[in-house]
Amino acid sequence: MTQFNGPAQYGFAERWLPRLVLAPSFLLTLVFIYGFIAWNGYLSFTASRLLPNYEWVGLAQYETLFANERAWVAVKNLFIFGSLFIGGGMAMGILLAVFLDQKIRGEGVLRTIYLYPMALSFIVTGTAWKWMLNPGLGLEKLVHDWGFTSFTFDWLVNPDMSIYTVVIAGIWQSSGFVMALFLAGLRGIDDSIIKAAQIDGATLPRIYWRIVLPALRPVFFSTLMILAHIAIKSFDLVMALTGGGPGFSSDVPATFMYASAFTRGQMGVGAASAMMMLATVAAIVVPYLYSELRGSRHG
Amino acid sequence: MGALAIKNVTKRFGDTHILKGIDINIDSGQFLILVGPSGCGKSTLMNIIAGLEAPTSGEVQIGDRVVNDVAPKDRDIAMVFQSYALYPTMNVRQNIAFGMETRGVPRKEQDETIARVAKMLQIDHLLDRKPGQLSGGQRQRVAMGRALARNPTLFLFDEPLSNLDAKLRVEMRTEIKQLHHRLKTTIVYVTHDQIEAMTLGDRIAVMKDGVIQQFGSPEEIYERPANLFVAGFIGSPSMNFIDCHLAEQDGAVGVSLQSEGGARFVSLPDGQRFAGHLGQKVILGVRPEQIEVAEEDEPALLCKVHLTEPTGPDTMIFTQINGKEVIARVHPRAAGRPGDSMRLKLDLGKVVLFDPQSEARLG
Ligand SMILES: Nc1ncnc2c1ncn2[C@@H]1O[C@H](COP(=O)(O)OP(=O)(O)OP(=O)(O)O)[C@@H](O)[C@H]1O
Ligand SMILES: [Mg+2]
Repeated sequence: MTQFNGPAQYGFAERWLPRLVLAPSFLLTLVFIYGFIAWNGYLSFTASRLLPNYEWVGLAQYETLFANERAWVAVKNLFIFGSLFIGGGMAMGILLAVFLDQKIRGEGVLRTIYLYPMALSFIVTGTAWKWMLNPGLGLEKLVHDWGFTSFTFDWLVNPDMSIYTVVIAGIWQSSGFVMALFLAGLRGIDDSIIKAAQIDGATLPRIYWRIVLPALRPVFFSTLMILAHIAIKSFDLVMALTGGGPGFSSDVPATFMYASAFTRGQMGVGAASAMMMLATVAAIVVPYLYSELRGSRHG
Repeated sequence: MGALAIKNVTKRFGDTHILKGIDINIDSGQFLILVGPSGCGKSTLMNIIAGLEAPTSGEVQIGDRVVNDVAPKDRDIAMVFQSYALYPTMNVRQNIAFGMETRGVPRKEQDETIARVAKMLQIDHLLDRKPGQLSGGQRQRVAMGRALARNPTLFLFDEPLSNLDAKLRVEMRTEIKQLHHRLKTTIVYVTHDQIEAMTLGDRIAVMKDGVIQQFGSPEEIYERPANLFVAGFIGSPSMNFIDCHLAEQDGAVGVSLQSEGGARFVSLPDGQRFAGHLGQKVILGVRPEQIEVAEEDEPALLCKVHLTEPTGPDTMIFTQINGKEVIARVHPRAAGRPGDSMRLKLDLGKVVLFDPQSEARLG
């Protein structure tokens, strides 16, 4: 009962101290994330070019954006890259995880090797793959040196194919990470479930397809979320690997936005494209968060 | 007809010998119990019978065919696991149907089987639930249902009750026994619970460190344990082990027992069979219920009660004979209180002797 007779300040400090401690980071987040989002949103309705300018032009920048062929190439590339990167990375990662789950020897070493690319920055990955895919330096030269001179692999410099080199590098980097997530999930599955399925007569692929992978649905969705937002934000990989080229054939929205806002003096268009990216991410993340939060409350 | 024959099966993982030459033979319709302490290789043997693991050497025969090279699904077996091993994303109906689906059983037959099994185990109302929405006991039933749907020649149960609470365990034990009476299918049942072993089994194999210590009927195992380990493992409370010297007095072979009331020589019935061990140290094995309260006119050991443990129907009396703690199971009304002296006698017809060196039973 004594605690109720304590000084009023005690309860006050108790209540306010956590808020006080959290306030600076809360303030920083508010200003530097949400504040700048709002500022950017405002800029997208102005006539800003090289520098911010607050002349209100309504939706003009969005009209310019949607009329811009280069923007549409970026959007198309995002779809190609996003779907292949997510699909390919997921498939590769799951496959690696399933193989590693077969109690093979040297698993620890292999796991580290596969996971290693994730420790690199996209810049390093991009640069390394740029050398490997460079016709005069890497793979093509190697095969030529072996004597197969008719071999060509020029995707890096071919405008129709350049985006696929980004896909290759992206999958290389992410599949180990996907593998690690799925392997952890696989390890969580009771061994005797697999034994029971064996006695039930299911083949190994069927066991994974019908029993094990469905049980990993939550891992699947988390991985999808992570890969999707990597795909939408992808910037450094493209910059390092192709720089958006040849021409603007491998542009993605992030590189387009950067180029518009900071190198081509079209800050308003850049801001508008940034808003469009934000809307895309929100369209994916908000329903996900909503279902997650609702799920945990019912949990 | 032989239902299951295991011939000199060994299993090694790297350098560790888990099973060291197992031989078991049971007839069709029998209920075999594999019992032993944790880590003795029961599950390993079970997995070898199921074909989930290959023996390092030896032969497994189910019915009249050697199944060493037969896949688990073709051995005509069904297995229930300790963790139940239900498929988590499928509902109960799909769990039961999965095996039939894989074997290509027609849809109509599947539905009939599910209905039959669900009725037998009273899980009709659970068919559309996922395993996560079931209680432990219900999961256990579903796991049994999945096995029953197969209608196999051999059931394998690996500690199916050990995750249940005590009351449910007793209930399910009875149900499994009834099920066996009804179906008459051969069952191999792993447990480390000696009560389950005694109540369920037709045949019991007591294992320790990958070796079968004794293989026989529950009565044989209980009354004529092959060695100290089996004697101590089966029965609750455990058999009392009293260190003695085998001696001869007035032409009768017997042992001298020392209690608080003094020493007394008790002769063993048919004692001449131990004549070869005269003068040697032996261990006298007496079950708690073989120590009884003596009548007024009978010769008895006067023992001081150290502690009592009432269990309801019986009361356990803790006392000392030959310096060893000994438990006697007596009727609550006959039980003394701690500090009292009681007149006790041994039911000598049933006591057993062990060699302290080899730990094997004598005679
Ligand atoms: N794959 C394996 N590799 C190495 N050792 C193993 C393997 N599987 C089991 N063992 C060892 O074999 C021994 C017997 O294991 P097993 O699972 O058969 O014991 P158990 O009698 O079923 O015990 P419990 O009552 O605890 O289930 C244990 O010491 C275990 O560590
Ligand atoms: Mg076990």
